[in-house]
Amino acid sequence: MTSADLMALMPLIILAGGSVLVLLAGAIKPGSYLYELAGALIASALLWSLLVPTDAIMPGLAITPFSRFFTIFLSASGLLALLLASGYNRRRDITGEEYPATILFALTGMGAACAATDLLMLFLGLEAFTFAFYILVAIKRDSAKGGEAGLKYLLNGTLSAAILAMGMALVYAACGTLSLAGLASAGRSQEPLFLAGGCLILLGMAFKLSLVPAHLWTADVYQGAPAPVTALLSTASKGASLAALLLLLPLFGAWHGLRDILWVAALLSMVAGNLAALVQINLKRMLAWSSVGQMGYVALGLVAAPAGGTRAALFYMVVYAMAGLAAFGVISILSNEEECDDIEAYRGLGYRNPLAGGTLAVAMFSLAGIPPAAGFMGKFAVFSAALRGGEISLALAGILSALVAVYFYLRIVVIMYMKPAAGADESTRTRTVPEIIALLVPAIVMVLLGVYPQPLLALLERILP
Amino acid sequence: MLTTLPLLTILIFLPLAGSLLLLPLWNRVSLARPVAFGVAVAELALAGWLYGSWQTLATVPTKLPGYLLLEDAPWIPAFGIRYTLGLDGISLLMVMLTSFTFCAALVVSWKSIKERAVLFLTLMLVMESGIMGVFLSLDLALFYLFWEIMLIPMFFLIGIWGHGRRIYSTIKFFLFTMFGSLLMLLAIIALHLLHASQSGVATFSLPELLHTQLPYNTQLWLFAAFFLAFAIKFPLFPLHTWLPDAHTDAPTAGSVVLAGLLLKTGSYGLIRFGYPLFPLAAQAMTPLIYTLALLGIFYASLVAFAQEDMKRLIAYSSIGHMGYIAVGIAAWQPVALSGSILQMASHGVTTGALFCLIGMLDERAHTRDIAAFGGLWGKIPLWSFFFLIFSVTSMGVPGLNSFVGEFLILAGTIKQAPLVVVLSFVGIVLPLIYMVRLVQEVLFQKERQPLVLPDLDLREMALLTALLLLNIWVGVHPAPLLDMIHLPVQLLTGGAP
Repeated sequence: MTSADLMALMPLIILAGGSVLVLLAGAIKPGSYLYELAGALIASALLWSLLVPTDAIMPGLAITPFSRFFTIFLSASGLLALLLASGYNRRRDITGEEYPATILFALTGMGAACAATDLLMLFLGLEAFTFAFYILVAIKRDSAKGGEAGLKYLLNGTLSAAILAMGMALVYAACGTLSLAGLASAGRSQEPLFLAGGCLILLGMAFKLSLVPAHLWTADVYQGAPAPVTALLSTASKGASLAALLLLLPLFGAWHGLRDILWVAALLSMVAGNLAALVQINLKRMLAWSSVGQMGYVALGLVAAPAGGTRAALFYMVVYAMAGLAAFGVISILSNEEECDDIEAYRGLGYRNPLAGGTLAVAMFSLAGIPPAAGFMGKFAVFSAALRGGEISLALAGILSALVAVYFYLRIVVIMYMKPAAGADESTRTRTVPEIIALLVPAIVMVLLGVYPQPLLALLERILP
Repeated sequence: MLTTLPLLTILIFLPLAGSLLLLPLWNRVSLARPVAFGVAVAELALAGWLYGSWQTLATVPTKLPGYLLLEDAPWIPAFGIRYTLGLDGISLLMVMLTSFTFCAALVVSWKSIKERAVLFLTLMLVMESGIMGVFLSLDLALFYLFWEIMLIPMFFLIGIWGHGRRIYSTIKFFLFTMFGSLLMLLAIIALHLLHASQSGVATFSLPELLHTQLPYNTQLWLFAAFFLAFAIKFPLFPLHTWLPDAHTDAPTAGSVVLAGLLLKTGSYGLIRFGYPLFPLAAQAMTPLIYTLALLGIFYASLVAFAQEDMKRLIAYSSIGHMGYIAVGIAAWQPVALSGSILQMASHGVTTGALFCLIGMLDERAHTRDIAAFGGLWGKIPLWSFFFLIFSVTSMGVPGLNSFVGEFLILAGTIKQAPLVVVLSFVGIVLPLIYMVRLVQEVLFQKERQPLVLPDLDLREMALLTALLLLNIWVGVHPAPLLDMIHLPVQLLTGGAP
């Protein structure tokens, strides 16, 4: 390993080493400074990726513009989630060094998954961050809901890991190599053994992305996990999984079945996610189901991958992540001893707490795809790609389910601004600076990307292979 | 020289910038109101200046024939979207209407909006920016963006300051419009892609897309999507059901903007985009549009006759009046189209004034029930005078603005579709019936409830006088406005200028 390789790998080293460092530091001297330490480490990994753009190819890992983009995106999400968590965990009595350390560990796994060049590293990265989430989801040990969510996530997650591993084993049996490039050029994508493995891999990835039919865990886990964890689970983990999926798709070559599988997954996710979200009365559950729908739009972009849909899907993912961070961020800062996730608790929020209300409203408009929020540009990109790829019926289904979605997103805005407040339940706790930053940043990014998405689009065009 | 400035950008973003001025005044309503009104007046002054100098501007040719001012800059090259704005006579008329309507809406809500007044003012200014954008965009994607943006403030306006079933009404309004808009979005993208595959240029620019060669079937599908979006805004029968609810439950200022401007974005869109982009499909669908327009005229008039709520009655009358505008557009002939465009402005003024009047009465009596009133002529003569005048205008009496537009529409259509004109003539009688009933019951009937009603104050008088002057101006001397829209109308209908 040369020094240039080390330079390129440094963000991952910072994250992985940082995770150990935080654990050790916590063992010696526990305290809330660990959050600041972890935040500083994530920020330095982010800055390193931004300021030292070195490419390197190592066994199993390749640091490319693609992986660097994801390191930046994931670290930024992780940082925002950590800002949210510092106050939230104090209020909800989640103490100890394991929270910040596990966040760092999760980010390491995500970074590795995005930079993988063979199946083994990909699996390792994916399962590393999923493993971290098993801990994070159930981190509030005395919460029954958290325990239930943790168990559900664990059982489903291990099943999907097994499926993923089985798929990779079959692919390896068919081709005799684990290298992604080798597999893509092996040209065996028509062989039954390879296809069986490939389909199992796709199913495993569908679990990570909450695509129908592997989506049923989403609502329970999102609801039961602490809000800052859900913020990260619904954004960074989805982003990393999309990156991994993008690395895997070339394996299938020109196999038309891939398009059919994605087509069905996209359709079912858009329809089922948005319909199920209609009837939720718990904000976290609603957002969970809506994220199933949102992932359907990402899949719609992937269906149209030959027509430039990959860029659209990535753009959509970034935009969705901002909205998810903002929405779960608002839930985080409003939660005191109890999780604040009953929709009725948001009555009059827009006036009680203009920052939180405004941020949640922007997030809702963005998720609904209404300009000037960025979600519109995301939908625009995805639907352009879908029509260019000739997927007219899928685009129509998508736009009609988007109309359904408008209703339940607007319902939140209606409750916040148009329903009389239900008593003065809100404590007038002053907002801390980290919380304000954690809300303002995604809100501003959403508006900026909605008004001027060109820089990000150009960047995505450059980093995609 | 003023024309070296990006005037169209200023027209669009001045209100938005003004809304930022209100942020530091969040707790000082008494200061925020004049500031917001000042911004709206500045906008009106700019529109007035443009009207005063349009003939000078017309002497300088722009890249597009018929356009007085153009602005163009790259915006999102990755999607092929440009920031293209254009002002021709039709846009100018709509810009004038918009800037005036917002001044009127701010004046009429001066005292009636007490809670969260600064938020209200902010939303009004944002909405003005959005509507200006709709009337000035020449890039379809940009147009769509403004088309959607203007919905959000109206959604809040009805939902926060509305009456009755305000939440139901505002969601219904939003979902109806979104339904049409989303399908139009797909059609816009499809048109863009078809053009790109033909010419190799990825663009949403209207002048470019006009050259796209589209087979008849494709035109039909795309036009259907555009038409649905515009017909919902119009609103044409049977897509009108959101309108009575939205109008009835909206605050007065919301109703004024809704009737005066939002409905016009539908007809404007049909004139600017729908017909020119898909001429064959539009021609094929003309009988359908005539039918829907006539059904709307008759149906809405009959329903208006049965209303007990004055605001609801005017809302239904709006559907009827918009039906005439649809007839004029469907004829797609210079005289009828001029009539429709003029009628868009006239209807904005007349219906806007009627909503203002009913709002003023509602503030005093806290009811809009026709049966609650009677004998107002003797009690509040000033209000009654204006109410009578604008009701008579709505009936289409010569010398007042509605007559001019309706006359031109029918005169222009008679060659194309005599049967439609005959039926429309019958339809013209219907407003007479329900408006006479309204006037008779409210103004001249015996007093039914002892209500203590103060007459108009100075602010209300000034507003109504301004509206009345506009009404009479268009009614007596519409020639300058017709001159202004003459060239664009000729170019649109394909005749010699």
